[in-house]
Amino acid sequence: MTLQEIYEAISPMAEQTLQIPHFDSTVSMTSTPSWDSLKHVQLLSAIERKLGIEIGNEDAFKLTSADRLVKYVFSVLEGEAR
Amino acid sequence: MTELALLPHQQSNRPLDLPYTTFQHLLKSKMEENPEKTFLIFPESDRSYTYREFHHLTLVTASWLRPHGQFGGTICILFRNTPEFLAVFFGAAALGMAVVPINPDLAPPEIEFIIQNSGCRSVCYDPDMRGKLASLQAELPEVSFFTLANADDLPPVDAASIEASLPRVDPTMPAAIIYTSGTTGFPKGVILSHMNFLVDGGGMAQWFQFTPETRSLCILPLFHNNGLVVSLTTTLQAGGSIVMMDPKASLRSFWALVSRYKATNTSVMPSILAAILAFGFDGSPGALKGIICGGQLLPLNLAHQFEARFSIPIFEGFGSTEAASYSCFNPFPAEKRKLGSVGKVLPVCEMKVVDESDTELPDGVEGELCIRGANVAIGYHNLPELQAARFRNGWYHSGDYGMRDRDGYYYFRGRNDDLIVKGGEKIYPVEIENVLATHPAVSECAVIGVEDAILGQEICAFAKLADSANVSEADLLRHCAESLARFKQPKRVVILNWLSDMREFPKGPTRKILYRELREYYYQRLANAADPEALKWVLGV
Repeated sequence: MTLQEIYEAISPMAEQTLQIPHFDSTVSMTSTPSWDSLKHVQLLSAIERKLGIEIGNEDAFKLTSADRLVKYVFSVLEGEAR
Repeated sequence: MTELALLPHQQSNRPLDLPYTTFQHLLKSKMEENPEKTFLIFPESDRSYTYREFHHLTLVTASWLRPHGQFGGTICILFRNTPEFLAVFFGAAALGMAVVPINPDLAPPEIEFIIQNSGCRSVCYDPDMRGKLASLQAELPEVSFFTLANADDLPPVDAASIEASLPRVDPTMPAAIIYTSGTTGFPKGVILSHMNFLVDGGGMAQWFQFTPETRSLCILPLFHNNGLVVSLTTTLQAGGSIVMMDPKASLRSFWALVSRYKATNTSVMPSILAAILAFGFDGSPGALKGIICGGQLLPLNLAHQFEARFSIPIFEGFGSTEAASYSCFNPFPAEKRKLGSVGKVLPVCEMKVVDESDTELPDGVEGELCIRGANVAIGYHNLPELQAARFRNGWYHSGDYGMRDRDGYYYFRGRNDDLIVKGGEKIYPVEIENVLATHPAVSECAVIGVEDAILGQEICAFAKLADSANVSEADLLRHCAESLARFKQPKRVVILNWLSDMREFPKGPTRKILYRELREYYYQRLANAADPEALKWVLGV
């Protein structure tokens, strides 16, 4: 998957979970009050289910923006593809 | 050091031990003791600072801040738990400015209130908040808004000359004004001096036997006193290290962080313990010696479950922003604790239990918990009536009720008002009612706190609509979202017009709404239908 395809795959669930109109590269925890600690857990679980990947607990704390999250998912999928 | 001018409620029979007079003095002293020791670690951004590096950074930041404030003035800051928060906090404190930390998740009207109420003319913020603050910048032309993206990129300075030019800051000068929910519906600013922070932090560091080997994991926000005192000031006093985490991002990583950074202690709200158990996050305590817990009532069964599962003692305490943070704690080590109690008084202050006429009550009798000592705040910002009511007869009257047993252990029982504590955040119902009442369709409203399995409490609003009104619960929730931070927004709004058995508010003889009856109605009629399992809602399944 490309970064754009990952955005497209994640956006609907991120928009629903975080209750925001658009999940794009401008979205971060700082700019999105609804992205709280419980929503963070929910969002990561939803992505894991949808894409069939595992997000390491030791990485979860770094995924604090849309960009970081999408790039992380990309790296996980890349790793699986190899 | 000249004798300190203590306010009546700051005087006590406890000896005042103040080896460090200000934040800058403390930081410099620790830097001189162990300059290459790691002080701060920020895993999210892969940045860390030794004592020497961070001391230098505070001087660089102080130099940069000079045009934005003056000695004795205030500065608002909006950052998450980042190096920038701490650089500005220490830099401003070194210049004799009081920092007003603002929760970045507050709604623009709430942020505007704090900026105006505090009288700040400078607001330093994370560039990610530019969009949210744009409208405020237009509305407050007299206020200077400026960003700090990365403190490490500030222009280099001659640190020695900056340090030499710093003003003499008195320990009793304000270091911070921390806003907390108020009974009037508007947040109130609690003015805390350098002395307040250092005395309370020193007392806790001593209580928990912190040493330079102490490594604290900070997962609570620095814009609240808990993060500033319990994680920051205590560990700094001991010359230890702090792993600074974003509270919103660290829940799932809690055990991984404890393990990776070999944390020896951390401070949490009970809701964090509940969430770790509920989500089934597993891990090992590793080097952790204990978990400090407070901010809301810790259910005894939650403490038992957590300790049984993870074999780590929880140290519950009691405190308030007005007393810098904690005033009493269960004793360390763990075998001296009494589970269910909030422990014994710290060596820096005194506590007592009084009745309505301020008469001290004997052990075993419930009354209002009062505190006095050098950790107790200067008072409230521009609220003389509240100041007189809460800081009277040489004691701070907390509004919290409890008792002391004959062994000197205190027990917290509850509040004498309707304060809601949701995930450690304190919210007065009137703050939400004021917003809900501005909706044109709402003729009357009331807000209560209801039990929640994870957060301790959730918010439930009741609204009576004008006869001709045609709005939905979703409309009213949206209305609240426009003016209230997310954590203050009700989980649901119950519209009385649609109920079959309570179409009017229950009222007493003086026509006041009976909140107690609303709570009874909620639990008897709504709780199950509205929220079959709180956990399901949280998990989103």
